[in-house]
Amino acid sequence: MAQLQTPDQKELAGLIVSALNLEGVDPGTIDPDAPLFGAGLGLDSIDALELALEISKRYGVQLKAEDEDNKRIFASLRALSAYVQERRAS
Amino acid sequence: MKPLRITSHSIACAAGIGLPALSAALRNGASGLRLNDFGESPLATWIGRVSGVEDVRLPGHLLEWDCRNSRLAWMGLNSDGFLGRAVAARNRYGADRVALVLGTSTSSIGATEEAYRRLLPDGQYPEDLRHPMAHTPHSTGDFVRAALELEGVVVTVGTACSSSAKAFAQAERLMRLGIADAAVVGGVDSLCGSVLFGFNSLELVSPEPCRPFDVARRGISIGEAGGFALLERDGERGPWLLGYGESSDAHHMSSPHPQGLGARLAIEAAFERAALTPDVVDYINLHGTASQRNDEVEARVVADLFPAATRASSTKGWTGHTLGAAGIVEAVITFLAMEGGFVPGTLNARELDPACGPQVRLSNESVDVRVALSNSFGFGGSNCALLFGRDAHA
Amino acid sequence: MPESMSPPYTAFVEGVALWAPRIPGWAVALPVLRGETEARAQPAPRPAPPLLAPTERRRAPDTVAIALEVAVGACENAGADPRELASVFACTEGDLAISDYMSETLARTPTLISPTRFHNSVHNAAAGYWTIGTGCMRPYTALSAHRYTFGEGLLEALVQAESNGGATLLVAYDIESRGPLATMAPSRGIVGAAVIVAPTAGARSLARIRWSTARGTERTAPLPRNAELVAGNAMAACLPFFEAMAMEEDRAVRLGLNHSLSLEIHFDFLTGDERRWS
Repeated sequence: MAQLQTPDQKELAGLIVSALNLEGVDPGTIDPDAPLFGAGLGLDSIDALELALEISKRYGVQLKAEDEDNKRIFASLRALSAYVQERRAS
Repeated sequence: MKPLRITSHSIACAAGIGLPALSAALRNGASGLRLNDFGESPLATWIGRVSGVEDVRLPGHLLEWDCRNSRLAWMGLNSDGFLGRAVAARNRYGADRVALVLGTSTSSIGATEEAYRRLLPDGQYPEDLRHPMAHTPHSTGDFVRAALELEGVVVTVGTACSSSAKAFAQAERLMRLGIADAAVVGGVDSLCGSVLFGFNSLELVSPEPCRPFDVARRGISIGEAGGFALLERDGERGPWLLGYGESSDAHHMSSPHPQGLGARLAIEAAFERAALTPDVVDYINLHGTASQRNDEVEARVVADLFPAATRASSTKGWTGHTLGAAGIVEAVITFLAMEGGFVPGTLNARELDPACGPQVRLSNESVDVRVALSNSFGFGGSNCALLFGRDAHA
Repeated sequence: MPESMSPPYTAFVEGVALWAPRIPGWAVALPVLRGETEARAQPAPRPAPPLLAPTERRRAPDTVAIALEVAVGACENAGADPRELASVFACTEGDLAISDYMSETLARTPTLISPTRFHNSVHNAAAGYWTIGTGCMRPYTALSAHRYTFGEGLLEALVQAESNGGATLLVAYDIESRGPLATMAPSRGIVGAAVIVAPTAGARSLARIRWSTARGTERTAPLPRNAELVAGNAMAACLPFFEAMAMEEDRAVRLGLNHSLSLEIHFDFLTGDERRWS
């Protein structure tokens, strides 16, 4: 059962949809706990790089491919949003 | 196929301008890579930059093509007596009987980048850059055509890293069908913001000099180069093109087929066309970009297809990855190996990735190279394998 | 009389496709080129790229969309399996929108280059997407020869068909230029054209052609009423070939390969039920 998004998650969902040109995906319908990569939204490595770029432009938060925590950070909308909000504050 | 002779060839690359300089650099293990000093705010990476490109002055009648790529092409044409040999071929066969097939990935885009940096308030290019033929993919091909005054088939191949390898194949077909009697095959790519920042955005660029096939490799070092080869049906001297194979990976734009299926198809097609088998190959110049995936896949393909005694190496530690020029640069290095009786090792690599079979070598060796294979596998899944021989018949 | 430069070769046209905003597709274009109907009054928007999985489809720029549209169109016209075809992709100016984007972004914020757009910037992007979308592992090439791009592209397709003994697909396209680059590399609208040529006759061959290279500067011009359909686009030189295919008249078309070199094509259409060529 899809959970409701927080305002931060909703904003990030909108960014994901626009940055990656996810045709026909309503940002509000992205389940915060669904996988972003592979299954779920089905994003791939190029999408990860594109998303990292847009996140850095919008929030000033850097994500690097070599970061070992990437699997965890990018695991879901909830995880990515939490990471962005945390880094943004500091 | 009927072999074709390479009766002249030339090179201008970061490891050396001219064949003697490149040969010395190969033998001495002298890398041409340097810390990136290209442009304003250079990325923290290593590049293969050719010295002196900025100081090249093109002849007056060629100024409408002026840009870094044309100057690098001019350096390549004026190395190793190539220009004279090409003009002699033109005079012998007729200007419309010599084809020109030139490989490049970004061509003159650096000039367009500069124009955008220096735009006039009304949105026009600054006057010194207002030459249409410096802002189009065929720029360098057209420049070389004008420089050599060729009137036959003239075309630019833009298949990323396989471009100037495929140019050999394209030229062979034109000659076989009697559309041309000789061909100038070339490859020119220069440093520019598009490739440096572009590959950086894909996180494919190494912060240190590239280490092909090394277990701790961290990506590519971008290089620039200009090189040429003259193909004829025969001549007094020179190595021979014995065969070629081409294929597509049909997998992903920026990652190779995981089992190297396309690479295998291209290599097998080259052997079939040359009527040869893998055991006759003395040396393989690998594509070996030092990217994670290319090297892993290529190492496995080579281990599967070739006997343990076949020596293989990537020479991108000397020149960097010269993209559209990689095919010609590595063909020229292969010719130097044949002529000089030595194979270059894999410069900068220290500990080979376990995926490598016994073929991949770290160090230079003295070897009689009679038959060699050169691999070029491009972005977009375009693969080309070239078979060269010291003699027409292996 | 142009002096022939190479032996004449015989080939067969197996399928064609053509797309421009007012003739979006061969079914629409054929009667328009013949003068039987009017072109669309409203220009069609860029086609959605066929064939591609969602991941590739959402990334596809205009060049890929138009190239794949006509590539699929020619295969359908010919009843050909894309996986059996080697291909030649010919584009004069490359992806003009991405070139404008790259130069603009590099001038302002170079470290913020979009990886997606960079990886679409290579001249062989459309060819790459085609082989990925169809699963075709036959070789492709991607060419440019400036104003001679269509002629050189068709020559390469014919050369490959003859020398490799198999059907070859040519896909030729150019899009609209944007930004300051448009002052140096002008091109209007979107044009895509595709042809499948084969060295031997098939059951569905549309025409037999005899081709050779020839000296001379003479070029075939399209009819003025048709010329305006692709006018201003960098690939406009493709039109006379498709006009000839539409008219089904046995005549010659000359396409530029270089200033004083042309590709000469003599068309031979079989009429009635005679779909046999010796």
